[in-house]
Amino acid sequence: MNTVLSRANSLFAFSLSVMAALTFGCFITTAFKERSVPVHIRVSKVLLKNVDDFTGPRERSDLGIINFDISADILHSPIFDWNVKQLFLYLSAEYTTKSNALNQVVLWDKIVLRGEKTTISLKDIKSKYFFFDDGNGLRANKNVTLTLSWNVVPNAGILPLITGSGHMSLPFPDTYETPKSY
Amino acid sequence: MLSIFKSIPTHMDYKGQKLAEQIFQGIILVSALVGFIYGLIIEQFGWTVYIVLGGFAISCLLTLPPWPMYRRHPLAWQPVVPESQGDVRDKPQENVKKPRKHK
Repeated sequence: MNTVLSRANSLFAFSLSVMAALTFGCFITTAFKERSVPVHIRVSKVLLKNVDDFTGPRERSDLGIINFDISADILHSPIFDWNVKQLFLYLSAEYTTKSNALNQVVLWDKIVLRGEKTTISLKDIKSKYFFFDDGNGLRANKNVTLTLSWNVVPNAGILPLITGSGHMSLPFPDTYETPKSY
Repeated sequence: MLSIFKSIPTHMDYKGQKLAEQIFQGIILVSALVGFIYGLIIEQFGWTVYIVLGGFAISCLLTLPPWPMYRRHPLAWQPVVPESQGDVRDKPQENVKKPRKHK
């Protein structure tokens, strides 16, 4: 500690260790909290088509086109706290067909940064991504469940994946090209 | 140009170094505690970082330059002995061979 450089080295290393301990403290204060909130999903229209699917092994697959509403109150705790940088929300559809026991398809997603004053209160949105089935399992499907989940991107620590409480199950139409309104 | 920087004296004596270390550790720990609690209350980790950086800047100012308070206990060197011819040198090491014991 006799020269300026030696003192500066000591000082800087100590500050960095203290900063690392504070970051760990920030993680610990938010690691074990309950983060799920109630979510309301409503579907307004479902249209089923049977089209050429060039990404799959067969000629034609079922394509679902859905219009929906989502509302969720995400502005305060428990979702946004001092350890959250942004949220990645996505709406996924889950169903069973004869050929596959479980299918999960992401229909829509959104990135919400902390500090943006957006409540999720969206009406009549179209799905962002194609709702293709692996085959023809969507027609007359009794139970397709839509849930909203989100990934929390923190400032420090692990990235939890939370599912909102509240989902919407609906049967799909029996015939192609006939829109069904709810 | 570097020689100018090298000629500025930056030393501190030992008690001064200990004082400087205690000062900067104390300042940074206090600012870390204050910053953590403040960030927890207003729910923004950015403020915690700003307060710790402020503590770092204050302790840089207080401990990096060699202030006089760090030079209050200088080492007591022996007084300079003027060199004269025919110095009294130390006794040269005697090459003593220990007698071997013959078995």
